[in-house]
Amino acid sequence: MTNYVIETQHLYKRFGQVTALEDINIQIAEGEFVAIMGASGSGKTTLMNILTGLDTASAGKVMLDGIDAAQLDESGRQRFRAEKIGLVFQQFHLIPYLTALENVMLAQHYHSVVDEAAAKAVLQQVGLEHRIDHRPSQLSGGEQQRVCIARALVNQPPVIFADEPTGNLDEKNEKLVLDLLTTLNRQGRTVVMVTHNPELGKLTDRTIFLQHGKFLREEHNHS
Amino acid sequence: MAVNSAKAMFWRLIFSALRLRLQRVLIIFAALTVGASIVTAMAAVYFDINTKMSQELRTFGANFYIGSSSSGLINEREIKQILHHAPPALITAASPYLYGVARADLEKIVLMGVWFEDMRTLAPYWQINGSAIGVNFDQRNAMIGKTLAERLNIKVGSKITLSKNAVEKHTFNIKAIVESGDATDNMLIVSLEFAQDWLEKDGLVTNALLNVKNDQGQVEQFAARLQQRYPDLEIRPIRKVSASEGQILDKIKGLMGLISLVILVLATLCVNTTLIAIVGERAKEFALQKALGARPQDIIRQIGTEILIIAICAIVAGLIIGYLLAQVLGITVFKAYIDMRLPVIPITVLLSLIVAFIAVIVPTRRALQIQMANVLKGE
Repeated sequence: MTNYVIETQHLYKRFGQVTALEDINIQIAEGEFVAIMGASGSGKTTLMNILTGLDTASAGKVMLDGIDAAQLDESGRQRFRAEKIGLVFQQFHLIPYLTALENVMLAQHYHSVVDEAAAKAVLQQVGLEHRIDHRPSQLSGGEQQRVCIARALVNQPPVIFADEPTGNLDEKNEKLVLDLLTTLNRQGRTVVMVTHNPELGKLTDRTIFLQHGKFLREEHNHS
Repeated sequence: MAVNSAKAMFWRLIFSALRLRLQRVLIIFAALTVGASIVTAMAAVYFDINTKMSQELRTFGANFYIGSSSSGLINEREIKQILHHAPPALITAASPYLYGVARADLEKIVLMGVWFEDMRTLAPYWQINGSAIGVNFDQRNAMIGKTLAERLNIKVGSKITLSKNAVEKHTFNIKAIVESGDATDNMLIVSLEFAQDWLEKDGLVTNALLNVKNDQGQVEQFAARLQQRYPDLEIRPIRKVSASEGQILDKIKGLMGLISLVILVLATLCVNTTLIAIVGERAKEFALQKALGARPQDIIRQIGTEILIIAICAIVAGLIIGYLLAQVLGITVFKAYIDMRLPVIPITVLLSLIVAFIAVIVPTRRALQIQMANVLKGE
């Protein structure tokens, strides 16, 4: 029997009269690398916000690592985000006045215990061991995104969510970041990536297509 | 530099955030410092004003009292002796006072016999409607207190007749109506000589008020010397601020309170506006912290600690600047330094913290209400 780390059942999200997500039923297995794709307004970011606990569903179930995120209150969602989710943003969102190391340690700070050695190790894993004391303004876009990935990794969450992780990067850094995500997946980590780029989608195990807030189809990318 | 503990991480966050927005932090610091300085200065003056005002007022009007130690009448001759033997130019004005009840046309009234010539110096706060009587021996004219005049329906130029029995009558022409703010408002003010004669108290007076020079604190010494020489008299400087002067004090205190309140409200608004701007600038930062698992109390603690640090620095600066400001006020107004009384410090600390607390409420609520998904997406 497949062990799903993410499963949604009859998921709906409405903003007033507008239905942003309609009856979404998806499953993502542990260790899978999945892309969520769709045109602008298809609901892919809304879906990711709900899966990561940044937003709440209007109806339906959102199971992540055995927890129904839809049933959690604000405090429960806060713990859920800290413990179950690693977030990678298109715009990096690093705290400008903290160093790379401190930005990674910030995630530890809100999770449980600050462990400098673990933070350094994860920065080494993304190839930034020589940049730990640099502030975001002193790092390139690709380096900032790798700090962001290190921050997402440091608490060992079951799933890494990446929202357009290469959207602000040049080709060289795009490849670096994708290689990094692929490596993490090969090491057994579940990765969910939102993208509008079909070429990136093909690099994952499976691509889920959304259209107008509805599940359109899915494609398995590797035989 | 790396940090190891959660506490160190927290303080790193706080101080780094303050350093990054130094300009806005300085605006908040300046606003709170102005508030704390004004509160310190006003509170220092407020608590010291009674002493300083009474010192100031001791040289204003009558500042010396001579009366009987047994609450009876005293001999006018003794007053004259005191005046005669006083060091030259020490006494600038003096008048014996004799009080007694007399019958007027309609009712019994209180007579106050005085030496008219020195009344301008002894009671400079009298508001006189009409012409003040300038000579001691004037027995044709009198002045009347405002309340009594209203009760008897007497105007300047009216006449009032006193009657002792069916035969003896004396009619005064009212030259002035006096508003003093004290019991004099209910009295008919006549020459001392007439009062003694009419009240059949020849050579006797109730008390005497003097204006004694006090530029070097001579009043106390003069009183002590006289008391030794006239043990049957009560001789003392007037320390107590009179009722009307007390009203002035109350008004000054009220004004200081109002100024402090206005400054504090302005400081609150300034801090509030600046903090709202800071929260706007840091929306992504707070959204990220929440996305990483920060609890609402973590955000409250962070903003609260930042403002508390600024407030503590502002309070220290405000106490120092306020103390100096109080001295400037003291020297300018009272020609004396203002003593810093103990309640000033807790009052300044408390009010400054209240201002900071009120100012931080709305910005903190905004920080807590940040929609993570929208802000992190850049919407």
